[in-house]
Amino acid sequence: MSRRLDTLTELLGPAVIVILVGALATTASASNEVYFLNALVFVAIVVAIYVFVGISGVLSFGQISFVAVGAFAAGVMTVPVDSKKGVLTSVFPLLRDHSVGNVPSLLLAAGLGGVFAFVVGLPLMRLSGLAAGIATFAVLEITHNVLREWTKIGPGATTLALVPETTGALQATLGALVAIVVAFLYQRSRRGRLLRASREDPAVARSVGVNIHLERLLAFTLSGALAGFAGALYVHLLGSITTEQVYLELTFLTLAMLVVGGLTSLWGAVIGALGVSGLDSFLSRAEQSHVHVVLTFTLWQGTRLVFLAAIMALVLILRPSGLTGGRELRLRWSLRRGRG
Amino acid sequence: MGDPAPASGIEGRPEDILRASAVSRSFEGVQALQDVTLELHSREVVGLVGPNGAGKSTLVNVLTGFDLPTSGTVELRGREITGWSAHRRARSGLTRTFQHSRSLRALSVRENVEVAALGVGVGAREARRRAQELLGRLGLTELADVRAGSLAQGDERRLGVARALVTEPAFVLMDEPAAGLPEAEVPEFAEVVRSVRDDHRAGVLLIDHNMALVMGVCDRIHVLDQGRTLAAGTPEEIRGDLNVAAAYLGETAVATDA
Ligand SMILES: Nc1ncnc2c1ncn2[C@@H]1O[C@H](COP(=O)(O)OP(=O)(O)OP(=O)(O)O)[C@@H](O)[C@H]1O
Ligand SMILES: [Mg+2]
Repeated sequence: MSRRLDTLTELLGPAVIVILVGALATTASASNEVYFLNALVFVAIVVAIYVFVGISGVLSFGQISFVAVGAFAAGVMTVPVDSKKGVLTSVFPLLRDHSVGNVPSLLLAAGLGGVFAFVVGLPLMRLSGLAAGIATFAVLEITHNVLREWTKIGPGATTLALVPETTGALQATLGALVAIVVAFLYQRSRRGRLLRASREDPAVARSVGVNIHLERLLAFTLSGALAGFAGALYVHLLGSITTEQVYLELTFLTLAMLVVGGLTSLWGAVIGALGVSGLDSFLSRAEQSHVHVVLTFTLWQGTRLVFLAAIMALVLILRPSGLTGGRELRLRWSLRRGRG
Repeated sequence: MGDPAPASGIEGRPEDILRASAVSRSFEGVQALQDVTLELHSREVVGLVGPNGAGKSTLVNVLTGFDLPTSGTVELRGREITGWSAHRRARSGLTRTFQHSRSLRALSVRENVEVAALGVGVGAREARRRAQELLGRLGLTELADVRAGSLAQGDERRLGVARALVTEPAFVLMDEPAAGLPEAEVPEFAEVVRSVRDDHRAGVLLIDHNMALVMGVCDRIHVLDQGRTLAAGTPEEIRGDLNVAAAYLGETAVATDA
Protein backbone atom coordinates (compact mmCIF):
# COMPACT_ATOMS: atom_id res chain seq x y z
CA MET A 1 0.00 0.00 0.00
CA SER A 2 1.26 3.49 -0.80
CA ARG A 3 0.82 4.62 2.81
CA ARG A 4 3.16 1.86 3.94
CA LEU A 5 5.71 2.98 1.38
CA ASP A 6 5.50 6.55 2.64
CA THR A 7 5.97 5.35 6.20
CA LEU A 8 9.01 3.41 5.10
CA THR A 9 10.73 6.22 3.23
CA GLU A 10 9.93 8.69 5.98
CA LEU A 11 12.03 6.63 8.38
CA LEU A 12 14.50 4.96 6.04
CA GLY A 13 15.55 8.12 4.20
CA PRO A 14 16.97 9.83 7.29
CA ALA A 15 18.26 6.53 8.73
CA VAL A 16 20.16 5.52 5.60
CA ILE A 17 21.80 8.88 5.14
CA VAL A 18 22.93 8.88 8.78
CA ILE A 19 24.38 5.39 8.41
CA LEU A 20 26.22 6.53 5.26
CA VAL A 21 27.77 9.45 7.10
CA GLY A 22 28.75 7.07 9.91
CA ALA A 23 30.38 4.75 7.38
CA LEU A 24 32.26 7.67 5.81
CA ALA A 25 33.53 8.61 9.26
CA THR A 26 35.21 5.24 9.64
CA THR A 27 37.03 5.60 6.33
CA ALA A 28 38.10 9.21 6.87
CA SER A 29 41.53 10.21 8.13
CA ALA A 30 41.84 10.76 11.86
CA SER A 31 41.83 14.53 11.42
CA ASN A 32 38.72 14.46 9.25
CA GLU A 33 36.76 11.91 11.23
CA VAL A 34 35.76 14.47 13.82
CA TYR A 35 33.84 16.47 11.22
CA PHE A 36 31.64 13.50 10.38
CA LEU A 37 31.08 12.71 14.04
CA ASN A 38 30.22 16.34 14.68
CA ALA A 39 27.65 16.23 11.91
CA LEU A 40 26.04 13.13 13.42
CA VAL A 41 25.83 14.70 16.87
CA PHE A 42 24.29 17.77 15.27
CA VAL A 43 21.68 15.52 13.67
CA ALA A 44 20.73 14.34 17.16
CA ILE A 45 20.53 17.90 18.49
CA VAL A 46 18.55 19.27 15.55
CA VAL A 47 16.14 16.33 15.57
CA ALA A 48 15.58 17.01 19.28
CA ILE A 49 14.73 20.63 18.51
CA TYR A 50 12.54 19.54 15.60
CA VAL A 51 10.40 17.37 17.88
CA PHE A 52 9.19 20.49 19.61
CA VAL A 53 9.74 23.48 17.32
CA GLY A 54 9.07 21.72 14.01
CA ILE A 55 5.97 19.81 15.01
CA SER A 56 4.35 22.37 17.32
CA GLY A 57 5.27 25.46 15.30
CA VAL A 58 6.20 27.28 18.51
CA LEU A 59 9.63 28.88 18.36
CA SER A 60 12.03 28.03 21.16
CA PHE A 61 15.49 29.43 21.72
CA GLY A 62 15.73 27.34 24.87
CA GLN A 63 16.35 23.79 23.67
CA ILE A 64 20.12 24.19 23.90
CA SER A 65 19.61 24.57 27.69
CA PHE A 66 18.69 20.90 27.72
CA VAL A 67 21.70 20.04 25.59
CA ALA A 68 23.84 21.94 28.11
CA VAL A 69 22.30 20.15 31.09
CA GLY A 70 22.78 16.79 29.39
CA ALA A 71 26.36 17.57 28.40
CA PHE A 72 27.42 18.70 31.85
CA ALA A 73 25.54 15.95 33.67
CA ALA A 74 27.10 13.26 31.49
CA GLY A 75 30.49 14.96 31.60
CA VAL A 76 30.65 15.47 35.35
CA MET A 77 29.41 11.96 36.02
CA THR A 78 31.89 10.19 33.75
CA VAL A 79 35.15 11.89 34.70
CA PRO A 80 36.99 9.11 36.56
CA VAL A 81 36.71 9.49 40.35
CA ASP A 82 40.48 9.70 40.72
CA SER A 83 40.71 12.65 38.34
CA LYS A 84 37.73 14.54 39.80
CA LYS A 85 39.71 15.87 42.75
CA GLY A 86 41.84 17.73 40.28
CA VAL A 87 39.28 19.14 37.83
CA LEU A 88 36.10 19.36 39.90
CA THR A 89 37.35 20.75 43.17
CA SER A 90 34.22 22.16 44.76
CA VAL A 91 31.35 19.93 43.62
CA PHE A 92 28.98 18.23 46.06
CA PRO A 93 30.58 15.11 47.63
CA LEU A 94 27.93 12.95 45.97
CA LEU A 95 29.11 14.07 42.53
CA ARG A 96 32.78 14.04 43.53
CA ASP A 97 32.81 10.48 44.85
CA HIS A 98 30.81 8.72 42.16
CA SER A 99 31.16 8.11 38.48
CA VAL A 100 29.08 6.14 36.02
CA GLY A 101 29.77 4.43 32.71
CA ASN A 102 29.13 5.70 29.22
CA VAL A 103 25.66 4.28 28.61
CA PRO A 104 24.27 5.20 32.05
CA SER A 105 25.54 8.74 31.49
CA LEU A 106 23.57 8.96 28.24
CA LEU A 107 20.40 7.79 29.97
CA LEU A 108 21.00 10.10 32.91
CA ALA A 109 21.38 13.05 30.53
CA ALA A 110 18.17 12.14 28.72
CA GLY A 111 16.29 11.83 32.01
CA LEU A 112 17.57 15.13 33.37
CA GLY A 113 16.87 16.93 30.10
CA GLY A 114 13.32 15.61 30.11
CA VAL A 115 12.62 16.50 33.73
CA PHE A 116 14.09 19.96 33.34
CA ALA A 117 12.07 20.59 30.18
CA PHE A 118 8.89 19.40 31.87
CA VAL A 119 9.36 21.75 34.84
CA VAL A 120 10.18 24.70 32.60
CA GLY A 121 7.43 23.80 30.16
CA LEU A 122 4.65 23.74 32.74
CA PRO A 123 4.37 27.53 32.86
CA LEU A 124 5.96 28.29 29.48
CA MET A 125 3.79 26.15 27.24
CA ARG A 126 0.88 28.49 27.78
CA LEU A 127 2.72 31.01 25.64
CA SER A 128 3.11 31.11 21.91
CA GLY A 129 4.57 33.35 19.23
CA LEU A 130 6.90 36.12 20.33
CA ALA A 131 6.22 35.61 24.04
CA ALA A 132 7.30 31.99 23.78
CA GLY A 133 10.45 33.00 21.92
CA ILE A 134 11.47 35.51 24.60
CA ALA A 135 10.59 33.25 27.53
CA THR A 136 12.53 30.29 26.13
CA PHE A 137 15.47 32.59 25.52
CA ALA A 138 15.31 33.51 29.20
CA VAL A 139 15.55 29.80 30.04
CA LEU A 140 18.76 29.58 28.01
CA GLU A 141 20.20 32.61 29.84
CA ILE A 142 19.30 31.26 33.26
CA THR A 143 20.66 27.79 32.52
CA HIS A 144 23.87 29.21 31.16
CA ASN A 145 24.43 31.44 34.17
CA VAL A 146 23.66 28.74 36.70
CA LEU A 147 26.04 26.32 35.00
CA ARG A 148 28.75 28.95 34.78
CA GLU A 149 28.49 30.22 38.34
CA TRP A 150 27.44 27.27 40.47
CA THR A 151 30.60 25.31 41.07
CA LYS A 152 28.89 22.83 43.35
CA ILE A 153 27.35 21.04 40.37
CA GLY A 154 30.10 21.38 37.81
CA PRO A 155 33.26 23.10 36.70
CA GLY A 156 31.70 26.59 36.61
CA ALA A 157 33.42 28.92 34.19
CA THR A 158 36.44 26.66 33.77
CA THR A 159 36.77 23.87 31.26
CA LEU A 160 35.42 20.45 32.14
CA ALA A 161 38.15 18.13 30.92
CA LEU A 162 39.03 14.45 31.09
CA VAL A 163 35.59 13.31 29.93
CA PRO A 164 35.93 9.87 28.28
CA GLU A 165 35.74 10.26 24.49
CA THR A 166 33.27 7.45 23.87
CA THR A 167 31.43 9.04 20.96
CA GLY A 168 33.20 7.38 18.06
CA ALA A 169 31.66 6.48 14.73
CA LEU A 170 29.52 3.76 16.26
CA GLN A 171 28.09 5.79 19.13
CA ALA A 172 27.53 8.89 16.99
CA THR A 173 25.67 6.88 14.36
CA LEU A 174 23.59 4.95 16.85
CA GLY A 175 22.87 8.12 18.80
CA ALA A 176 21.62 9.96 15.73
CA LEU A 177 19.54 6.90 14.79
CA VAL A 178 17.97 6.76 18.24
CA ALA A 179 16.95 10.41 17.94
CA ILE A 180 15.52 9.82 14.46
CA VAL A 181 13.55 6.73 15.44
CA VAL A 182 12.10 8.41 18.54
CA ALA A 183 11.10 11.48 16.53
CA PHE A 184 9.59 9.30 13.82
CA LEU A 185 7.56 7.22 16.26
CA TYR A 186 6.35 10.36 17.99
CA GLN A 187 5.27 12.18 14.85
CA ARG A 188 3.42 9.10 13.67
CA SER A 189 1.71 8.59 17.02
CA ARG A 190 -1.69 9.93 17.98
CA ARG A 191 -0.11 12.62 20.16
CA GLY A 192 2.27 13.74 17.44
CA ARG A 193 -0.54 14.00 14.93
CA LEU A 194 -2.62 16.06 17.34
CA LEU A 195 0.28 18.44 17.95
CA ARG A 196 0.82 18.88 14.23
CA ALA A 197 -2.88 19.61 13.84
CA SER A 198 -2.58 22.33 16.49
CA ARG A 199 0.30 23.81 14.55
CA GLU A 200 -1.81 24.04 11.41
CA ASP A 201 -4.77 25.70 13.10
CA PRO A 202 -5.13 25.94 16.88
CA ALA A 203 -8.84 26.77 16.75
CA VAL A 204 -9.70 23.80 14.56
CA ALA A 205 -7.63 21.53 16.79
CA ARG A 206 -9.39 22.75 19.93
CA SER A 207 -12.78 22.27 18.33
CA VAL A 208 -12.08 18.56 17.89
CA GLY A 209 -10.83 17.96 21.41
CA VAL A 210 -7.10 18.70 21.26
CA ASN A 211 -5.65 20.00 24.53
CA ILE A 212 -2.96 22.14 22.98
CA HIS A 213 -1.25 23.03 26.25
CA LEU A 214 -0.87 19.37 27.17
CA GLU A 215 0.34 18.28 23.73
CA ARG A 216 2.94 21.05 23.66
CA LEU A 217 4.14 20.19 27.14
CA LEU A 218 4.61 16.53 26.21
CA ALA A 219 6.52 17.40 23.05
CA PHE A 220 8.65 19.93 24.94
CA THR A 221 9.51 17.23 27.49
CA LEU A 222 10.35 14.65 24.83
CA SER A 223 12.42 17.25 23.00
CA GLY A 224 14.21 18.05 26.28
CA ALA A 225 15.03 14.39 26.85
CA LEU A 226 16.41 13.98 23.32
CA ALA A 227 18.36 17.21 23.68
CA GLY A 228 19.88 16.01 26.97
CA PHE A 229 20.83 12.76 25.29
CA ALA A 230 22.38 14.64 22.38
CA GLY A 231 24.29 16.81 24.86
CA ALA A 232 25.78 13.68 26.37
CA LEU A 233 26.83 12.46 22.92
CA TYR A 234 28.41 15.85 22.34
CA VAL A 235 30.47 15.95 25.53
CA HIS A 236 31.68 12.40 24.89
CA LEU A 237 32.77 13.52 21.44
CA LEU A 238 34.61 16.63 22.62
CA GLY A 239 36.23 15.21 25.74
CA SER A 240 36.28 18.68 27.27
CA ILE A 241 33.68 21.40 27.28
CA THR A 242 32.90 24.90 28.55
CA THR A 243 29.48 26.45 29.09
CA GLU A 244 30.13 28.76 26.14
CA GLN A 245 30.08 25.80 23.76
CA VAL A 246 26.45 25.03 24.59
CA TYR A 247 25.09 28.53 24.51
CA LEU A 248 24.30 31.24 21.95
CA GLU A 249 26.38 30.13 18.99
CA LEU A 250 25.10 26.57 19.21
CA THR A 251 21.54 27.88 19.51
CA PHE A 252 21.94 29.93 16.37
CA LEU A 253 23.71 27.20 14.47
CA THR A 254 21.19 24.45 15.25
CA LEU A 255 18.16 26.65 14.56
CA ALA A 256 19.79 27.63 11.27
CA MET A 257 20.19 23.95 10.44
CA LEU A 258 16.54 23.27 11.14
CA VAL A 259 15.29 26.25 9.18
CA VAL A 260 17.60 25.67 6.22
CA GLY A 261 16.66 22.00 6.01
CA GLY A 262 12.95 22.65 6.38
CA LEU A 263 11.34 23.26 9.73
CA THR A 264 8.33 21.01 9.38
CA SER A 265 9.82 17.65 8.49
CA LEU A 266 12.15 15.13 10.07
CA TRP A 267 13.85 14.78 6.71
CA GLY A 268 14.44 18.53 6.70
CA ALA A 269 15.96 18.42 10.18
CA VAL A 270 18.39 15.69 9.15
CA ILE A 271 19.33 17.25 5.82
CA GLY A 272 19.76 20.68 7.41
CA ALA A 273 21.95 19.31 10.20
CA LEU A 274 24.21 17.40 7.82
CA GLY A 275 24.36 20.12 5.18
CA VAL A 276 25.02 23.06 7.44
CA SER A 277 27.45 21.22 9.68
CA GLY A 278 29.37 20.10 6.61
CA LEU A 279 29.54 23.69 5.50
CA ASP A 280 30.40 24.86 8.99
CA SER A 281 33.27 22.38 9.25
CA PHE A 282 34.58 23.53 5.92
CA LEU A 283 34.40 27.18 6.92
CA SER A 284 36.04 26.66 10.28
CA ARG A 285 38.87 24.81 8.61
CA ALA A 286 39.20 27.68 6.18
CA GLU A 287 39.49 30.01 9.15
CA GLN A 288 42.30 27.96 10.60
CA SER A 289 44.32 27.23 7.52
CA HIS A 290 44.45 27.27 3.76
CA VAL A 291 41.75 25.33 1.98
CA HIS A 292 41.98 24.23 -1.60
CA VAL A 293 38.82 24.43 -3.68
CA VAL A 294 39.85 25.39 -7.18
CA LEU A 295 41.64 28.32 -5.56
CA THR A 296 43.49 28.32 -2.31
CA PHE A 297 42.07 30.64 0.27
CA THR A 298 41.95 31.47 3.94
CA LEU A 299 39.10 33.08 5.85
CA TRP A 300 39.58 35.78 8.44
CA GLN A 301 38.86 34.75 11.96
CA GLY A 302 35.18 35.17 12.81
CA THR A 303 33.91 35.26 9.24
CA ARG A 304 32.53 31.74 9.55
CA LEU A 305 29.30 32.81 11.23
CA VAL A 306 28.91 35.68 8.79
CA PHE A 307 29.04 33.22 5.90
CA LEU A 308 26.64 30.85 7.60
CA ALA A 309 24.14 33.60 8.32
CA ALA A 310 24.36 34.82 4.74
CA ILE A 311 23.79 31.33 3.38
CA MET A 312 20.87 30.85 5.70
CA ALA A 313 19.33 34.11 4.52
CA LEU A 314 19.91 33.13 0.91
CA VAL A 315 18.28 29.73 1.29
CA LEU A 316 15.30 31.32 3.00
CA ILE A 317 14.89 33.87 0.24
CA LEU A 318 15.08 31.25 -2.49
CA ARG A 319 13.25 28.47 -0.64
CA PRO A 320 11.24 29.91 2.25
CA SER A 321 10.28 26.50 3.58
CA GLY A 322 13.80 25.13 3.52
CA LEU A 323 15.76 22.84 1.24
CA THR A 324 13.28 19.99 1.61
CA GLY A 325 10.29 22.31 1.41
CA GLY A 326 9.39 21.04 4.88
CA ARG A 327 8.19 17.75 3.41
CA GLU A 328 9.09 14.22 4.32
CA LEU A 329 10.99 12.14 1.80
CA ARG A 330 8.53 10.53 -0.63
CA LEU A 331 9.15 8.30 -3.60
CA ARG A 332 6.34 9.92 -5.49
CA TRP A 333 4.26 13.04 -5.32
CA SER A 334 1.48 12.10 -2.93
CA LEU A 335 -0.59 15.21 -2.35
CA ARG A 336 -2.36 16.32 -5.49
CA ARG A 337 -3.53 19.83 -5.91
CA GLY A 338 -7.24 20.52 -5.43
CA ARG A 339 -9.81 21.78 -7.86
CA GLY A 340 -9.80 25.38 -6.56
CA MET B 1 -21.82 8.41 24.50
CA GLY B 2 -21.65 7.63 28.20
CA ASP B 3 -25.33 8.30 28.75
CA PRO B 4 -27.69 5.79 30.34
CA ALA B 5 -30.91 4.73 28.59
CA PRO B 6 -31.38 5.89 25.02
CA ALA B 7 -33.67 8.83 24.40
CA SER B 8 -37.25 7.65 24.47
CA GLY B 9 -38.94 10.42 22.62
CA ILE B 10 -39.56 12.50 25.73
CA GLU B 11 -38.67 16.06 24.88
CA GLY B 12 -36.70 18.21 27.25
CA ARG B 13 -34.81 15.72 29.40
CA PRO B 14 -31.77 17.61 30.68
CA GLU B 15 -29.46 14.93 29.26
CA ASP B 16 -30.56 15.92 25.80
CA ILE B 17 -30.17 19.67 26.04
CA LEU B 18 -27.54 22.28 25.29
CA ARG B 19 -28.65 25.58 26.80
CA ALA B 20 -27.43 29.16 26.86
CA SER B 21 -29.18 30.99 29.69
CA ALA B 22 -29.37 34.77 29.68
CA VAL B 23 -26.02 35.04 27.96
CA SER B 24 -24.49 38.44 27.35
CA ARG B 25 -21.18 39.31 25.76
CA SER B 26 -19.83 42.77 25.21
CA PHE B 27 -16.69 43.87 23.43
CA GLU B 28 -15.47 47.35 24.23
CA GLY B 29 -18.51 49.39 23.37
CA VAL B 30 -20.26 46.71 21.31
CA GLN B 31 -22.98 44.66 22.96
CA ALA B 32 -22.63 41.54 20.79
CA LEU B 33 -25.10 39.46 22.85
CA GLN B 34 -27.71 40.71 25.29
CA ASP B 35 -29.57 38.34 27.55
CA VAL B 36 -29.93 35.60 24.95
CA THR B 37 -31.49 32.31 25.99
CA LEU B 38 -31.43 29.43 23.53
CA GLU B 39 -32.00 25.70 23.84
CA LEU B 40 -30.86 23.01 21.46
CA HIS B 41 -32.26 19.53 21.92
CA SER B 42 -30.98 16.25 20.61
CA ARG B 43 -32.54 15.23 17.34
CA GLU B 44 -33.53 18.68 16.21
CA VAL B 45 -32.15 21.28 13.87
CA VAL B 46 -32.37 24.86 15.08
CA GLY B 47 -31.68 27.67 12.66
CA LEU B 48 -29.88 30.74 13.95
CA VAL B 49 -30.40 33.68 11.66
CA GLY B 50 -30.00 37.43 11.67
CA PRO B 51 -28.23 40.17 9.78
CA ASN B 52 -24.47 40.65 9.76
CA GLY B 53 -23.16 41.56 13.18
CA ALA B 54 -26.25 40.19 14.93
CA GLY B 55 -24.12 38.09 17.28
CA LYS B 56 -24.61 34.62 15.77
CA SER B 57 -20.95 33.68 15.67
CA THR B 58 -20.42 35.17 19.11
CA LEU B 59 -23.15 32.90 20.47
CA VAL B 60 -21.49 29.87 18.87
CA ASN B 61 -18.16 30.94 20.39
CA VAL B 62 -19.70 31.25 23.83
CA LEU B 63 -21.43 27.88 23.53
CA THR B 64 -18.31 26.04 22.37
CA GLY B 65 -15.77 27.61 24.71
CA PHE B 66 -14.00 29.85 22.21
CA ASP B 67 -15.25 32.87 24.13
CA LEU B 68 -16.51 33.52 27.65
CA PRO B 69 -19.82 35.28 28.24
CA THR B 70 -19.74 38.53 30.21
CA SER B 71 -22.73 37.15 32.11
CA GLY B 72 -25.06 34.19 31.84
CA THR B 73 -24.39 30.46 31.81
CA VAL B 74 -24.02 27.57 29.40
CA GLU B 75 -25.29 24.10 30.31
CA LEU B 76 -24.65 20.80 28.58
CA ARG B 77 -26.85 17.88 29.60
CA GLY B 78 -27.71 19.48 32.90
CA ARG B 79 -24.13 20.39 33.80
CA GLU B 80 -22.89 23.92 33.88
CA ILE B 81 -19.96 24.22 31.48
CA THR B 82 -19.62 28.00 31.20
CA GLY B 83 -15.90 28.03 32.04
CA TRP B 84 -14.90 24.79 30.31
CA SER B 85 -12.18 24.82 27.68
CA ALA B 86 -13.15 24.22 24.07
CA HIS B 87 -11.33 20.89 23.88
CA ARG B 88 -13.08 19.57 26.95
CA ARG B 89 -16.45 20.46 25.46
CA ALA B 90 -15.51 18.74 22.22
CA ARG B 91 -14.67 15.59 24.15
CA SER B 92 -18.04 15.84 25.85
CA GLY B 93 -19.82 15.79 22.52
CA LEU B 94 -20.11 19.48 21.68
CA THR B 95 -18.32 20.66 18.57
CA ARG B 96 -18.55 23.25 15.84
CA THR B 97 -17.52 24.39 12.39
CA PHE B 98 -16.10 27.80 11.56
CA GLN B 99 -17.51 30.62 9.50
CA HIS B 100 -14.21 31.65 8.05
CA SER B 101 -12.43 28.98 6.10
CA ARG B 102 -10.18 27.17 8.48
CA SER B 103 -8.51 23.85 8.07
CA LEU B 104 -5.31 22.03 8.74
CA ARG B 105 -3.97 23.38 5.50
CA ALA B 106 -0.76 21.40 5.04
CA LEU B 107 -2.51 18.12 5.77
CA SER B 108 -4.52 16.05 3.34
CA VAL B 109 -8.30 16.09 3.42
CA ARG B 110 -8.28 12.56 4.81
CA GLU B 111 -5.76 13.41 7.53
CA ASN B 112 -7.90 16.41 8.52
CA VAL B 113 -10.83 14.13 9.23
CA GLU B 114 -8.81 11.32 10.82
CA VAL B 115 -7.02 13.64 13.19
CA ALA B 116 -10.31 15.12 14.31
CA ALA B 117 -11.45 11.67 15.40
CA LEU B 118 -8.12 11.12 17.17
CA GLY B 119 -8.68 14.41 18.96
CA VAL B 120 -11.71 13.16 20.83
CA GLY B 121 -9.95 9.93 21.77
CA VAL B 122 -10.93 7.53 19.01
CA GLY B 123 -8.35 4.83 18.14
CA ALA B 124 -6.33 5.08 14.93
CA ARG B 125 -8.07 2.22 13.13
CA GLU B 126 -11.55 3.39 14.00
CA ALA B 127 -10.58 6.95 13.04
CA ARG B 128 -9.55 5.71 9.61
CA ARG B 129 -12.81 3.84 9.16
CA ARG B 130 -14.94 6.78 10.24
CA ALA B 131 -13.01 9.19 8.05
CA GLN B 132 -13.45 6.97 5.02
CA GLU B 133 -17.19 6.79 5.62
CA LEU B 134 -17.66 10.52 6.18
CA LEU B 135 -15.60 11.51 3.18
CA GLY B 136 -17.97 9.37 1.16
CA ARG B 137 -21.06 10.90 2.68
CA LEU B 138 -19.87 14.43 2.06
CA GLY B 139 -18.68 13.74 -1.46
CA LEU B 140 -15.02 14.27 -0.61
CA THR B 141 -13.65 10.80 -1.41
CA GLU B 142 -12.18 11.98 -4.66
CA LEU B 143 -10.35 14.77 -2.85
CA ALA B 144 -9.09 12.59 0.02
CA ASP B 145 -5.41 12.96 -0.85
CA VAL B 146 -5.55 16.63 -1.75
CA ARG B 147 -3.92 19.21 0.50
CA ALA B 148 -6.70 20.87 2.48
CA GLY B 149 -5.11 24.27 1.85
CA SER B 150 -5.81 24.01 -1.86
CA LEU B 151 -9.53 23.25 -1.65
CA ALA B 152 -12.23 25.44 -3.14
CA GLN B 153 -14.31 27.25 -0.55
CA GLY B 154 -17.36 25.00 -0.80
CA ASP B 155 -15.23 21.87 -0.46
CA GLU B 156 -13.46 23.38 2.51
CA ARG B 157 -16.79 24.01 4.24
CA ARG B 158 -17.80 20.41 3.68
CA LEU B 159 -14.46 19.32 5.06
CA GLY B 160 -15.23 21.39 8.16
CA VAL B 161 -18.52 19.54 8.52
CA ALA B 162 -16.80 16.16 8.04
CA ARG B 163 -14.27 17.07 10.73
CA ALA B 164 -17.04 17.97 13.15
CA LEU B 165 -19.16 14.91 12.41
CA VAL B 166 -16.32 12.41 12.65
CA THR B 167 -16.22 13.16 16.39
CA GLU B 168 -19.81 11.84 16.56
CA PRO B 169 -20.99 14.86 18.50
CA ALA B 170 -24.21 15.04 20.51
CA PHE B 171 -24.44 18.68 19.49
CA VAL B 172 -22.86 20.31 16.49
CA LEU B 173 -22.94 24.03 15.81
CA MET B 174 -22.41 24.93 12.17
CA ASP B 175 -21.44 28.50 11.36
CA GLU B 176 -22.45 29.12 7.74
CA PRO B 177 -21.44 25.66 6.48
CA ALA B 178 -23.19 26.14 3.15
CA ALA B 179 -21.55 29.44 2.27
CA GLY B 180 -19.64 29.07 -0.96
CA LEU B 181 -21.43 25.86 -1.82
CA PRO B 182 -22.75 25.85 -5.39
CA GLU B 183 -26.56 26.31 -5.34
CA ALA B 184 -27.00 22.88 -6.93
CA GLU B 185 -25.29 21.19 -4.00
CA VAL B 186 -27.42 22.84 -1.32
CA PRO B 187 -30.21 20.18 -1.32
CA GLU B 188 -27.61 17.46 -0.88
CA PHE B 189 -26.13 19.36 2.05
CA ALA B 190 -29.61 19.72 3.57
CA GLU B 191 -29.82 15.91 3.46
CA VAL B 192 -26.58 15.64 5.39
CA VAL B 193 -27.94 17.94 8.08
CA ARG B 194 -31.15 15.90 8.32
CA SER B 195 -29.21 12.68 8.61
CA VAL B 196 -27.11 14.13 11.44
CA ARG B 197 -30.39 14.72 13.24
CA ASP B 198 -32.20 11.51 12.29
CA ASP B 199 -29.39 8.94 12.08
CA HIS B 200 -26.92 10.35 14.59
CA ARG B 201 -29.67 11.73 16.84
CA ALA B 202 -27.60 14.84 17.32
CA GLY B 203 -28.76 18.39 17.86
CA VAL B 204 -27.71 20.78 15.11
CA LEU B 205 -27.49 24.56 15.32
CA LEU B 206 -27.36 25.86 11.79
CA ILE B 207 -26.35 29.40 10.93
CA ASP B 208 -26.96 30.38 7.35
CA HIS B 209 -28.03 33.31 5.26
CA ASN B 210 -29.68 31.02 2.72
CA MET B 211 -33.32 31.24 3.92
CA ALA B 212 -34.48 28.46 1.64
CA LEU B 213 -32.04 26.07 3.28
CA VAL B 214 -32.88 27.27 6.79
CA MET B 215 -36.65 27.15 6.29
CA GLY B 216 -36.31 23.78 4.62
CA VAL B 217 -34.33 21.84 7.21
CA CYS B 218 -34.91 23.55 10.55
CA ASP B 219 -37.39 22.40 13.16
CA ARG B 220 -37.16 25.72 14.98
CA ILE B 221 -35.63 29.06 14.14
CA HIS B 222 -34.07 31.63 16.44
CA VAL B 223 -33.70 35.16 15.12
CA LEU B 224 -31.03 37.47 16.52
CA ASP B 225 -30.74 41.16 15.83
CA GLN B 226 -28.14 43.45 17.40
CA GLY B 227 -27.40 40.85 20.05
CA ARG B 228 -31.02 40.36 21.14
CA THR B 229 -33.53 37.65 20.45
CA LEU B 230 -35.95 39.12 17.95
CA ALA B 231 -38.13 36.04 17.50
CA ALA B 232 -38.09 32.28 18.01
CA GLY B 233 -40.42 29.54 16.78
CA THR B 234 -41.16 27.11 13.99
CA PRO B 235 -40.37 28.13 10.44
CA GLU B 236 -44.07 28.86 9.85
CA GLU B 237 -44.32 31.02 12.95
CA ILE B 238 -41.21 32.92 11.97
CA ARG B 239 -42.52 33.52 8.48
CA GLY B 240 -45.79 34.87 9.93
CA ASP B 241 -44.21 36.61 12.88
CA LEU B 242 -41.93 38.72 10.85
CA ASN B 243 -44.28 40.52 8.56
CA VAL B 244 -42.40 43.66 9.20
CA ALA B 245 -39.08 41.96 8.85
CA ALA B 246 -40.04 40.13 5.68
CA ALA B 247 -38.09 42.63 3.74
CA TYR B 248 -35.21 42.17 6.14
CA LEU B 249 -35.20 38.40 5.80
CA GLY B 250 -35.43 38.74 2.07
CA GLU B 251 -32.57 41.13 2.19
CA THR B 252 -30.26 38.99 4.28
CA ALA B 253 -31.03 36.04 2.05
CA VAL B 254 -29.09 37.73 -0.68
CA ALA B 255 -26.90 39.98 1.44
CA THR B 256 -23.79 37.90 1.99
CA ASP B 257 -22.56 34.63 0.85
CA ALA B 258 -19.12 35.33 2.18
N1 LIG C 1 -13.42 39.66 19.01
C1 LIG C 1 -14.21 40.73 18.84
N2 LIG C 1 -13.80 41.95 19.22
C2 LIG C 1 -14.60 43.04 19.06
N3 LIG C 1 -15.82 42.99 18.53
C3 LIG C 1 -16.29 41.80 18.12
C4 LIG C 1 -15.51 40.62 18.26
N4 LIG C 1 -16.24 39.57 17.78
C5 LIG C 1 -17.40 40.11 17.37
N5 LIG C 1 -17.45 41.43 17.57
C6 LIG C 1 -18.56 42.30 17.28
O1 LIG C 1 -19.72 41.70 17.82
C7 LIG C 1 -20.82 41.87 16.92
C8 LIG C 1 -21.38 40.51 16.59
O2 LIG C 1 -20.47 39.82 15.76
P1 LIG C 1 -20.72 38.34 15.24
O3 LIG C 1 -19.49 37.93 14.53
O4 LIG C 1 -21.18 37.49 16.35
O5 LIG C 1 -21.91 38.57 14.19
P2 LIG C 1 -22.58 37.53 13.21
O6 LIG C 1 -24.01 37.53 13.53
O7 LIG C 1 -21.88 36.23 13.25
O8 LIG C 1 -22.36 38.25 11.82
P3 LIG C 1 -22.07 37.62 10.36
O9 LIG C 1 -23.39 37.26 9.76
O10 LIG C 1 -21.43 38.74 9.62
O11 LIG C 1 -21.18 36.46 10.54
C9 LIG C 1 -20.29 42.63 15.73
O12 LIG C 1 -20.61 43.99 15.91
C10 LIG C 1 -18.81 42.42 15.79
O13 LIG C 1 -18.13 43.50 15.24
MG1 LIG D 1 -20.79 35.13 11.95
